[in-house]
Amino acid sequence: MYDKTVRRRRAVLALLVVLSLILLTAYFGESSGGGLHSVQRGFLTVVSPIQDGANKALKPVRDLFGWFGDTLHAKGQRDQLLKQNDKLRRELIANQSEKSSYQQLLAMYHLDNRLSVSDYRPVTATVVFKSPNLWYSTVIVDKGTSAGVRLNDPVINGEGLVGKVTQAASDGAQVSLITDSSMGVSARIEATSATGIVQPKVGDPNDLLLQYLPANTSVNLGQYVVTSGTLSSPNDSLYPPGIPIGQVTSIDEESAYKSVNVHPLANLHNLDVVQVLTSASGALPARLSNLTAGLATGQQTSAGGVTSSQLAATGIGK
Amino acid sequence: MSATSLPASLLARIATLVLVVVFFQIGVVSEVPVFGVNVDLSPLVVAFVGLLCGSTLGAVTGFAVGLLVDLALVQTLGVTSLIFTVIGFWSGRLRELRDPQAALAPLLVGVAASAVSTVGYSLVEFLLGVNAPVSLELLRQIVLGVLVNAVVALPMWAVVRRLLEPGMPDDPRRRRRRAYTTGGLSPLSRS
Repeated sequence: MYDKTVRRRRAVLALLVVLSLILLTAYFGESSGGGLHSVQRGFLTVVSPIQDGANKALKPVRDLFGWFGDTLHAKGQRDQLLKQNDKLRRELIANQSEKSSYQQLLAMYHLDNRLSVSDYRPVTATVVFKSPNLWYSTVIVDKGTSAGVRLNDPVINGEGLVGKVTQAASDGAQVSLITDSSMGVSARIEATSATGIVQPKVGDPNDLLLQYLPANTSVNLGQYVVTSGTLSSPNDSLYPPGIPIGQVTSIDEESAYKSVNVHPLANLHNLDVVQVLTSASGALPARLSNLTAGLATGQQTSAGGVTSSQLAATGIGK
Repeated sequence: MSATSLPASLLARIATLVLVVVFFQIGVVSEVPVFGVNVDLSPLVVAFVGLLCGSTLGAVTGFAVGLLVDLALVQTLGVTSLIFTVIGFWSGRLRELRDPQAALAPLLVGVAASAVSTVGYSLVEFLLGVNAPVSLELLRQIVLGVLVNAVVALPMWAVVRRLLEPGMPDDPRRRRRRAYTTGGLSPLSRS
């Protein structure tokens, strides 16, 4: 009887461990369109309405816990904001005197040709769940493919870049935040043309790393880092240019390339409402994304009618 | 506890506990950072189910909780299941071999389960390959996460025990206490 119990216990353990390893290996090896990913998307589709309902029902509880934390941090934030307010007021006075000349320059260089966010057909979504894992900085939002959300769509909020869509079901989607270990965003220091790639520092959600800047790039503390509007890899999404990502906090000049630490502007701990830039079919950014992806893999593509002169005009691929 | 003698009410209680805790975790607890980290109730629940119900049920619960977490959060399937299976089995074996009676035993089991969970997860992620640079801040986050989990371990133990014990057919601790309160079996009552 004892032997039978021991054998059964060991068999159950072995079965579960082997099953976990099979799942892990199969999931890790398959593409995002594979069977297990489909099961996961199906599960997300089924539980999305439940998650949405649970999220709304549990919001008071969450707010109560959040209130305690907010109160503890309120004093420090107030002092910081007062200092920031003084600084901004001084900057405002200086900027007002330069406003008129700036507008003339703006007209002269036709900067209004830049793509604005509204061209990317933003879809407003509510964050329903957030991963507690140190390795997965992801959130689940309540809008999916039925609202036009697709894989790799950029996600922003009022403060700046938040991340991109990495899984999409019909009524929900997973958004990988810019602090997720899988993320990489082409970015540049504002007011310069030097571009690099912003990557997270795994384990430190308040720090990003802008790498591969040319060594002669002039960078100052406090400068803003914005999206460059180019792709960091063929599978990446095309983030609209000029979206703020963060502020430079320190500079590392020890290697051949310059790298800077960046504090993200978006408060990723407290995401509630975000905008998914769906780049609806026919919009210029989506076409450019397709074209550059094709060029990077050496394939011929029609790119939905985008001509090489149009591509050259954007600066992508230079 | 033999797997064949498991009452349906106990299984139902465990299933309810698992569902409520996982959804409460990802819907509420994950949204409230404490000292920059999140409390993770899942490894605590798995460890405490093992500690109360034994290794087999602990391992099965760990696998189920892990699968549910990976599905709900769209993470790599199998990673959390693997780690939680080990946690559930290990805490169950602890009960079967040692049956710890100290009041702080659940606290230590909870701390160990949280540490195994976060360190195990990091190891698996390293084995699968990490493209981004890894900050030393990760170590601080792991230590802080374990400490924060330690704070909630005893209340969580009380909840799990309160929910599961009425469904358990044979609890050695209850039997032992009863022996001293019914009069006949206590050495003190004979004198």
